[in-house]
Amino acid sequence: MEYLLPTLRKKQEVDSLIRDTLDKVLVLRFGLSSDAVCLQLDDVLYKSAKDVSKFATVALADAAAEEIQVYLKYFDITYVPSIVFFFNAHHMKMDSGSADHTKWVGTFHKKQDFVDVVEAIYRAAMKGKLIVNCPLPPERIPKFQLLYKDV
Amino acid sequence: MNHNNKKKKSKNEQQEFDFCEVCRLNHNNGRRHNFFPSHKNALSSLLARFQSKLSDVKFFLKTPMLTLPEHAHQNRLWCVFCNCDVPELDSQFAWSVISSNAVGHLASEEHWKRVKEFMWKYGGGMDRVDLFRIAEADYAKWEKKCKSLKGEAAKTQSVGTLNDIHNKHNTEFANSSCNNNFDVLNSCIPNYVVPLHSYTNERAPLPSSVLSSSVSETGPSLHNIPGGSHVQDANYLKNSTGYVDNQHFPNSLARECSLYGDASNGSVYSGVRAGISEVSPGLVNLTHISSTSKVALEGNVHTGAPPPWLDGTKGDNLDPAWKPESRNPVSSIEGKSKLNPKRVGAAWAERRKVELEMERRGERVNNNFDANWLPNFGRVWQSGTRKESRKQFQIENDAIREQDNHLEALMPIQPYISKRMRKDATHDTVNKS
Repeated sequence: MEYLLPTLRKKQEVDSLIRDTLDKVLVLRFGLSSDAVCLQLDDVLYKSAKDVSKFATVALADAAAEEIQVYLKYFDITYVPSIVFFFNAHHMKMDSGSADHTKWVGTFHKKQDFVDVVEAIYRAAMKGKLIVNCPLPPERIPKFQLLYKDV
Repeated sequence: MNHNNKKKKSKNEQQEFDFCEVCRLNHNNGRRHNFFPSHKNALSSLLARFQSKLSDVKFFLKTPMLTLPEHAHQNRLWCVFCNCDVPELDSQFAWSVISSNAVGHLASEEHWKRVKEFMWKYGGGMDRVDLFRIAEADYAKWEKKCKSLKGEAAKTQSVGTLNDIHNKHNTEFANSSCNNNFDVLNSCIPNYVVPLHSYTNERAPLPSSVLSSSVSETGPSLHNIPGGSHVQDANYLKNSTGYVDNQHFPNSLARECSLYGDASNGSVYSGVRAGISEVSPGLVNLTHISSTSKVALEGNVHTGAPPPWLDGTKGDNLDPAWKPESRNPVSSIEGKSKLNPKRVGAAWAERRKVELEMERRGERVNNNFDANWLPNFGRVWQSGTRKESRKQFQIENDAIREQDNHLEALMPIQPYISKRMRKDATHDTVNKS
């Protein structure tokens, strides 16, 4: 999917994208291009990218690239795909029922779910809130097990 | 006076609140609302916009063309009269006619009826109704042309000519069709896409060491999914990963085995080990990435470490004194409506806009930022006021522009020593000397 959505492999690219996306939500997916879940998510993202283009930008970061490891460490990303949301270079958090509010783990069941999530983030950011509740019902949120130190 | 006011009040109250779709407004003015200038303006702009989209569709009405489904999904039309989205989902054929669903919708009886109702309700002028629909004669002509086109495509199968059309008109048009006339559920997913039907919470549990022995357990649970696209998906995965296995593997299992295959072939990526995570009922199987270096020591978002995109290691710094002057030009540059000043990162956005503006003008080439760009006011262990420490910081910044970070040693951060200790220290040194 790299040829459809901007794919970033360097830290400097990610930095400049985060810093230069102004007044729009930046949806940054960390994933592997070989993983099937990531591919499905990429498909959803690509198809919805145009719909949300007025208030969001979508980009993919290759979790296998060396320079991106800094971000994986910073965001404590252990499951892939993970999506991190930014607004005006601030990291936006979303409470989707799991313990980790800092990112969205997994894919979306429908494109509309993705659009709803991005819209919720945008509305909260425009009001000045850094954390927002997930608008999706719990059955449509992908669940995952949080492992602590590979236990 | 009172009598008049009461009359006016009662007149308004008698009218119930109604929602005007055009102005998107609830009003209790009744039929008078249609003649208000604001409504007239909104209506004319709405109809003009829709008319422009329709003109694109009508272009394809006259000359039908074919396109690939992957580009088709970008073409959609929102019909304002029916309040429905009309996508191009007609992917029964490998090549589908552009905006076929849109044309079908615009030619339909229900749409015509709704257009008339809309015009009547919002005062658009009943003479203009025919502009927003496709007459039956035209529709019949178009259908004939489509059939011949599809026939030709099937016969010749020449990718060259079709590619020309496809290259010309792939992403430009905002057309779509309502699903009234077409059964979306029956439209097959094109066979090059890998949909993950089984990727929900209802998946059966799988042990962590996934091998072919566990196929039989998970097999039955996934047979409910339509088999056609299923087998194709398995084939696609098989082909793409080169993993030799059963053709009838369920989606998920094929995926897992391919992951396992990748992992066993040796890690391709430096520092990343892709393994298979534990799965229990109701959970989704996600690829687990574990980094080899220690995470906890360096700090992350949970521990409140500084974000990596805000500290750079190369390039010039931001001059802190430059910040206040940036406020004034912003309001004069932007002519658009003001965004909420309380929104997240408003200060950053304003500052960055000015920066970008300056970069564009060529005054300042400033891509990357030094780690010291955040002015360090917090030198609490230093004596003196904050201004002094800020001045000191600015001096240092100027010095750092010439040199590297060696100048940090100029002003080492010292622990706070109370007056008494200092006095004692000086006494001691005096005594010693």
